[in-house]
Amino acid sequence: MEIKPLIAGFEPQERPEGGEGEKPAVYDVIVLGAGPAGLTAAIYTGRARLKTLVIAGPLPGGEPSNTDLVENYPGFPEGIAGMDLAQRFQSQAERFGAEVVFDEATAVDFSQQPFTVQTYSTTYKGRTVIIATGAEPRRLGVPGEDKFFGRGVSTCATCDGFFYKDKRVVVVGGGDSAIAEGLFLTKFASEVIVVHRRNQLRATKILQERAFANPKMRFVWDSVVEEILGDETVTGVRVRNVKTGETSVIETDGVFVYIGMVPKTELFVGQLELDKQGYVVADRHQRTNVPGVFVAGDVQDPNYRQIVIAAGTGAVAAMEAERFLDEYWQTPHEEAGPS
Amino acid sequence: MAQDRKRKKQPRVIIFTTPTCSFCRAAKMYLRQRGIRFREVDVSRDQAALRDMVRRSGQQGVPVIQIGNKIVVGFDRPKIDRLLGL
Repeated sequence: MEIKPLIAGFEPQERPEGGEGEKPAVYDVIVLGAGPAGLTAAIYTGRARLKTLVIAGPLPGGEPSNTDLVENYPGFPEGIAGMDLAQRFQSQAERFGAEVVFDEATAVDFSQQPFTVQTYSTTYKGRTVIIATGAEPRRLGVPGEDKFFGRGVSTCATCDGFFYKDKRVVVVGGGDSAIAEGLFLTKFASEVIVVHRRNQLRATKILQERAFANPKMRFVWDSVVEEILGDETVTGVRVRNVKTGETSVIETDGVFVYIGMVPKTELFVGQLELDKQGYVVADRHQRTNVPGVFVAGDVQDPNYRQIVIAAGTGAVAAMEAERFLDEYWQTPHEEAGPS
Repeated sequence: MAQDRKRKKQPRVIIFTTPTCSFCRAAKMYLRQRGIRFREVDVSRDQAALRDMVRRSGQQGVPVIQIGNKIVVGFDRPKIDRLLGL
């Protein structure tokens, strides 16, 4: 196909072809994060025959791999283990040629083309970057939390639930994560006490029905955790009723915190437009304020945080990256010299 | 040569895990990728090992990785790299 130059007198540049299996000097697409958003993006860019690198970050598979059972991702009527779903995403991306590396970005430079991503071990260059670094659990920020983190305070029931066999645990929060993970904990714990700051749950109705029907679950309404108590190990939490102001102590062996997520965007401060809460600002085409840098998934989504939506935005980001590259190779541009 | 020397000097690595722990899986993938030999102890199937891990690390969670006589809590990659000289 003949490509018409956009500007008279300009000849479209030869688009470099990497040999099979060779590592290109400059990737077409670098995806940061290997959750549903990043891996879906890689499936699409791989199928578009773009040289794609996925830098997996600290948790390959992303947030779903912390989830016991995923029941709302279409195509799996019986549900699927979060870890299995994550593995399937990755296999599918790799099948179409995406290279997934187990490394973590430590710095980025989006100020000139090609963009640079520094990791623990290597410096990578890419024409486009798709940010899909996700979000991490918000911490309570109360006394005792840091001291007991990993020793009675956790944000990962699938990791640590086992340690509370026949023990009593407190779950803080009232959303989907809090209730789903609370239900998971009833497999081990003798009692699961949900402490929630409102007088009703925000979780999906089907989860609420299961929680209310579960004899191991108990609810403490209108209450917030003010302190985590204990000497060597956690012995309780002090809670305050937000309506009456009364405080009381709930005895417990463990505390699981599910009070929302914080986007992982420290790397992009000063390089990309972030909102007040730290989420990457994106338009409807998943474009950031830097041309060639796209964003997908929870890192730009304060509202929904669903696997299906993360995957959807990943697909949009990938298609927009492809479009960007098509235009990039048809217009004159300054190449940054070798560094 | 350098590889051989490194292999000989590798301290003993034990990783304590549970089957549903995603960070355990990530840590194991990482160790395998870097050619580190390790022993895995699934504490969900071994009560004695569980008590031992809690006593040694003070942790109520996994992964806990023992490298030589040092304990790494969680998949703390910079610390793992430092202790293994990666």
